[in-house]
Amino acid sequence: MTAIAAERYTGASIKRSEDPRILTGAGRYVDDIKLPGMLHAAFVRSPLAHALVLSVDAEAARALPGVVAVLTGADLETMTVPGPDALMALLGWAGPTPEFTLLATDKVRLVGDPVAVVVAESRYVAEDGCDLVEVEYDDLPPVVTAAFALDPSSPPLFANLGDNIARPHSRTEFGDVSGTFADADRVIDFHIDVHRHQNVPMEGRGCVASYDADLGVLTVYAATQSVHVTRLAVAARLGMTPDQVRVLAGDIGGSFGLKIGASREELAVAAASRLVGRPVKWVEDRGENLTASGQAREESFDVRAAVSNDGDLLGLDVKMIIDTGSYPALGVTVPDIMQAMLPGPYKLAALGFESTAAITNKAPYVAYRGPWASETFVRERVLDLIAKDLGLDPVQIRLRNVAPRTDPPALMITGRPLVGVTSRESLERVAELVDFPAFRRRQAQARAQGRYLGIGVATFIEAAPGPRSPEGPSGPMGLESMRLRLEEDGIVALFTGQMPHGQSHQTTLAQIAADEFGVPFEQVRVVVGDSDVVPFGLTGGSRSATMTGGVALHGARQLKAKVLDFAAHLMEASAQDLLITDGHVWVRGDPASAIAVSEVAQSAASGQFGDDVDATLEVQATFDGGEGGWSGGTHCAIVEVDVETGLVKVERYVAAEDCGALINPAVVEGQIRGGVAQGIGAVLLERSAYAEDGNFQSSTFMDYLMPTACDVPRIEIDHLETVPLDADVNFRGVGEGGMIVAPPTIVNAIEDALAPFGVRIYEQHLPPARILELIAEADPRP
Amino acid sequence: MDAITLTVNGAACTGSPEARKTLADFLRDDLNLTGTHLGCEHGACGACTVIVDGRAVRSCLMLAVQAAGHEVTTIEGLAIDGELGPLQQALWDSHSFQCGFCTPGFVMQATAFLGDHPDPDEQEIREALSGNICRCTGYQSIIEGVLLAAERNRAR
Repeated sequence: MTAIAAERYTGASIKRSEDPRILTGAGRYVDDIKLPGMLHAAFVRSPLAHALVLSVDAEAARALPGVVAVLTGADLETMTVPGPDALMALLGWAGPTPEFTLLATDKVRLVGDPVAVVVAESRYVAEDGCDLVEVEYDDLPPVVTAAFALDPSSPPLFANLGDNIARPHSRTEFGDVSGTFADADRVIDFHIDVHRHQNVPMEGRGCVASYDADLGVLTVYAATQSVHVTRLAVAARLGMTPDQVRVLAGDIGGSFGLKIGASREELAVAAASRLVGRPVKWVEDRGENLTASGQAREESFDVRAAVSNDGDLLGLDVKMIIDTGSYPALGVTVPDIMQAMLPGPYKLAALGFESTAAITNKAPYVAYRGPWASETFVRERVLDLIAKDLGLDPVQIRLRNVAPRTDPPALMITGRPLVGVTSRESLERVAELVDFPAFRRRQAQARAQGRYLGIGVATFIEAAPGPRSPEGPSGPMGLESMRLRLEEDGIVALFTGQMPHGQSHQTTLAQIAADEFGVPFEQVRVVVGDSDVVPFGLTGGSRSATMTGGVALHGARQLKAKVLDFAAHLMEASAQDLLITDGHVWVRGDPASAIAVSEVAQSAASGQFGDDVDATLEVQATFDGGEGGWSGGTHCAIVEVDVETGLVKVERYVAAEDCGALINPAVVEGQIRGGVAQGIGAVLLERSAYAEDGNFQSSTFMDYLMPTACDVPRIEIDHLETVPLDADVNFRGVGEGGMIVAPPTIVNAIEDALAPFGVRIYEQHLPPARILELIAEADPRP
Repeated sequence: MDAITLTVNGAACTGSPEARKTLADFLRDDLNLTGTHLGCEHGACGACTVIVDGRAVRSCLMLAVQAAGHEVTTIEGLAIDGELGPLQQALWDSHSFQCGFCTPGFVMQATAFLGDHPDPDEQEIREALSGNICRCTGYQSIIEGVLLAAERNRAR
């Protein structure tokens, strides 16, 4: 046998097993699927934000050579089953539930609302057909702002609701809110806005649906974060049982929360395939993606902060209004997590939180990388505003307010224990990495030359997975399942419901399992993307590092025990004396005894042992998150603002992050940098813009500006791994953190740069024109 | 529909695309070269970049018929005897990409760029790649991969 591997894969930047196919054009994305007889779908979409649909005339389109079918909303209604959005049903949403059809029937509710689908021999012809579908509309007053939506005079988008309230007003208090505010030295009021922006994966949504009438089975090739959620959604709306639907997914070109379940368009395509009996492909174009796929983050906050003269943040009272757009999606659930997370790592004594969700004629509010992130924006903005009022340093005010790490741990005022939180360490680390006094000197010199530099810091924590709650039967994120099997060729196969779309699971899960089981990395195969063979699962919420990493570790351990039990019969040794290293089973102290695990698996499959020997080398493992824990960190940006043009340049960006034990540092750093880049884009460039009449104004990449290689600086990353809580699994989620904390980091830095003008910033979107306005509007103080 | 002949990845190809068919769709649909990806279809994201006669071109903005008589290289044409080319290898070594959708465009753009600029500095690479959008990585890992490829080329 070969030398016993002393080094571990886990913790090393193992090169990704995904890359050889991706780098050669051999990745298989949904648009690469080509099936015999496949047709192509294109959608007729509303040009109006809010209108009655008076008629849909598809005769000319149906007559076009190459068009196979045109389905209107009324057609679809007869072919599908009404019901709530699949993700909302899965989340157990019990609030207002709008009734709507897959394609518009009586009315359209946003620019881009699908009205009809044309199915044709090519996408070119399908789009030609769309041009021939005549839709007669009658304008309704558009409901474009949350303020108008909450005005009882606004016309309801959904008749069954009678108003435009997606989630009724509610208020919750934690601690003694009135007492805390009454006793505070100061009470400060702010209004803070977070603008609408969106996921924009480089691959839009899409699917190929293929109905086999003989078998009665619908196969959907999907781009999804969960083949099982998509399967449930398709089955429910098509009136099929889940076992009649199989969902397959290959490579996925990003998602960031967008591709969960099945969109109305995907469901319409599935229904169309069943109707025409041929495979149908739909891949949205960029205009559809920007206009109609979903958007996020349009919230406003009235904030009152109770503060001591020394800079203690004693309490917050926050009134949030969230604009959830038109059709139901994740937005209505966001206030709950926002409320829970608002205290962050700080020792607030009181929190009042109230929220209302409005329905407007805009794209639905979907999950986007840290959907609750605005709690961090609000809190970290408020801390800087207070610091400026009191003349405190941004690091000092945070260190002053961070809850100390104690045993038993301090509780957030909203309830969860701050166990193992390293916010203090990350703040101190940033202060070591960035020489603040030297920066202040350079800032002063630059200002004397008419150049405006600024520094900003912000801190966050993320429940990824979150601390184990003492009373809970399982961990904070429920259970994660995995099936593991030793194949006859010696491959350790992991079947996971995770659906990677950039997260590198095929590499990271293999690293963990290879170490735990004792095979080379190349001998582990991670199987994803087939609802017939993988257990239930979902990639999202920074879940996979702990939950799937954990089940890979424990599952590999269980599989190893099973293999050793069987090998004990084969090798006539005690299982306790057997080891597996480098893909071989051997008797401790006797390297010559080694046999390859493939040989063990082949023996098991041969049936040479009787029924009393368990020869099934397969386990079904679950993991509840173990002791869990928080991830988090502190980011720091140095920016220069050109006060003539309003352009902001990010000169330096430093991230001190704690995601526990690193599985693959290069993968972790890629997640952090990618999130920060999205955060920089959100502040400096990106906005999903609507005109007053509800027309969508950013439907191309000329209008929706994405950060490029010239906009995103080098991002310096420092890892903290300070507090292991679990005996085995201390990997924590890191996918969302960069996007959560970068926006306040950048905005805080910009405000610092503009301090000589007296600029105070209460918003998140700061393109050049807005920077110039802020300077012009500011009231310089002495 | 007239027949066209062009060279793709070193081999002569013929086809009869509709006049309105883009080069990208022709490569993907007619030639089954699905490594060329479409990210925006309006020339802004660079995912569909291929090399035509040595120059990086957005295949969503070029008609297939315009490629008649020209030499086209796609991502499928970069591997050498089934092995990754030196740029691809450097990008793998640098953990350059995540979801992989923008990857072919970056690889083709960087291939064309390095052909003309064998010794670029970081800022030149950033500017050369600034017409390609990646939503996953924040670009740093891609820049490092291109720098590594250039360094290895010089050492060779």
